[in-house]
Amino acid sequence: MENVLNITRDQLDALREIGNIGSGNAASALAQFLNRKIDMDVPNASIMDLNEIPNLVGGPNQTILGIFLKIMGEISGRFLLMIPEKTSIKMLQYLIPGCEVKSLTQIGEMEGSCMKEIGNILAGAFLNALSVLTQTPMLNSLPSINFDYAGAMIDNVVADMSAVSDKVLMLETSFIEEEEDMRIHIFILPAPDSLKLLLQKIGVAS
Amino acid sequence: MPSVIPVGMSQLKTAKSPELLAVYGIGSCIILSIYDAARQIGGLAHIMLPDSAGMDMSSINPVKFADTAVPALIEAVLDEGALRMGLEAKIFGGSEMFPPTEDFTNTIGRDNTKAVKAVLKKHNIPLKSEDTGGTHGRSIEFDLSSGKVKVFIVGEEMREL
Repeated sequence: MENVLNITRDQLDALREIGNIGSGNAASALAQFLNRKIDMDVPNASIMDLNEIPNLVGGPNQTILGIFLKIMGEISGRFLLMIPEKTSIKMLQYLIPGCEVKSLTQIGEMEGSCMKEIGNILAGAFLNALSVLTQTPMLNSLPSINFDYAGAMIDNVVADMSAVSDKVLMLETSFIEEEEDMRIHIFILPAPDSLKLLLQKIGVAS
Repeated sequence: MPSVIPVGMSQLKTAKSPELLAVYGIGSCIILSIYDAARQIGGLAHIMLPDSAGMDMSSINPVKFADTAVPALIEAVLDEGALRMGLEAKIFGGSEMFPPTEDFTNTIGRDNTKAVKAVLKKHNIPLKSEDTGGTHGRSIEFDLSSGKVKVFIVGEEMREL
C-alpha cells in the first residue's frame, strides 16, 4: 500500500493533469445534459487532512446534496459529488418542466432519480477520460444519494481509506454555470492500494 | 456563554463544567462520550473504524479505532480528575449515509457501533444511552455541567440524551 504522504510534487502535478482532463470531459457531458454552458475551475490534487475536507463545501454542519459512486476496476476508489441545495434545485428546474421543489428535504423519487442521473453522467464522463488515459478500464457503481450534513457524508466515504493516515489524496474540482453561481464539487479519492498502479499508468511511478 | 470546543475526526478532547464539547456532521463514525457526573468532568472521542488489528501502532492515531480509543478516552478523563467508578458512557452516530447498491455495501456504521459497545463492556464502563444507526447524519453538543447531550438531525426535532 502506497502511503499518501510519500507522494511527490511531480506526482501531484500529474494527478492534477488527469483531474483536468477528467473534469473537462465531465463538464461537457453536464453542459450537454443540462443544455447550459458550464465553466470549470482549475482542479486541485492534494493530500488533505480529513478534517479540512468539509471546509471546501461550507463546513461539516452544512447541509448539502451528496451523490456517492464507487470507482471499480483495477484502479478503484470513491467518487463523491457534493451539490449545494440551491444548485440542485436549479438543476431540477432545468430538467423537470414545472418542477416546484423548494427544499431538498422533501424531494420525491423523480427528483432523486434526476440527481442520481447527474451523478452517473459526471462520473461516467470523468472515468471514461481516465480509462483512456491510463489504458485501464474504470467503471462506476450505481449512485447513492443523500441530503444531509457534509461532514457526515464525508466521514462515511473516507473512514476506511484513512486507516493508515489522517490524510487522504484527493482530486477536487468545481463547476460553475455561466449565468449563475451554480457550484458543484467533485471529489475523487483513489483507494490507497491502487495509487501505485495509477501513478505507474500515468508514467510517474516512484 | 460557556466555550464550545469542537472535536474533529479521529480527535479526542476532555473538558469540564461549564464547557461544551461539540461534533458537527457525524456519519458512520461513533462519538463516544465518557462523563463523571459527580465531578462534571468528561470527554469525547471521534472514532472512525472498529478495529486496529494489523496496524502498526507506533505510527497510527489510537483514537481512530474503537479498541484503542476507549481506553485512551478513559485514561484522558481520569487524568483530568474523574474517578473510575463514576464513569458512564453514551454513543452517537454509526449511520449508513449512502444506501447500499448492488456493488456497494455500507456496514462501517454498524460495525463501529457493535465494536464500541463490546470494548466498553470489556472495560466495564456502563452504556447509559445511545443514538445510533439510521441513514441520517448527526451533530451533537455535550454540556459538561449537566452531562446532557443535544442531538441534531436534519429535518428532525432536536433531542436530548
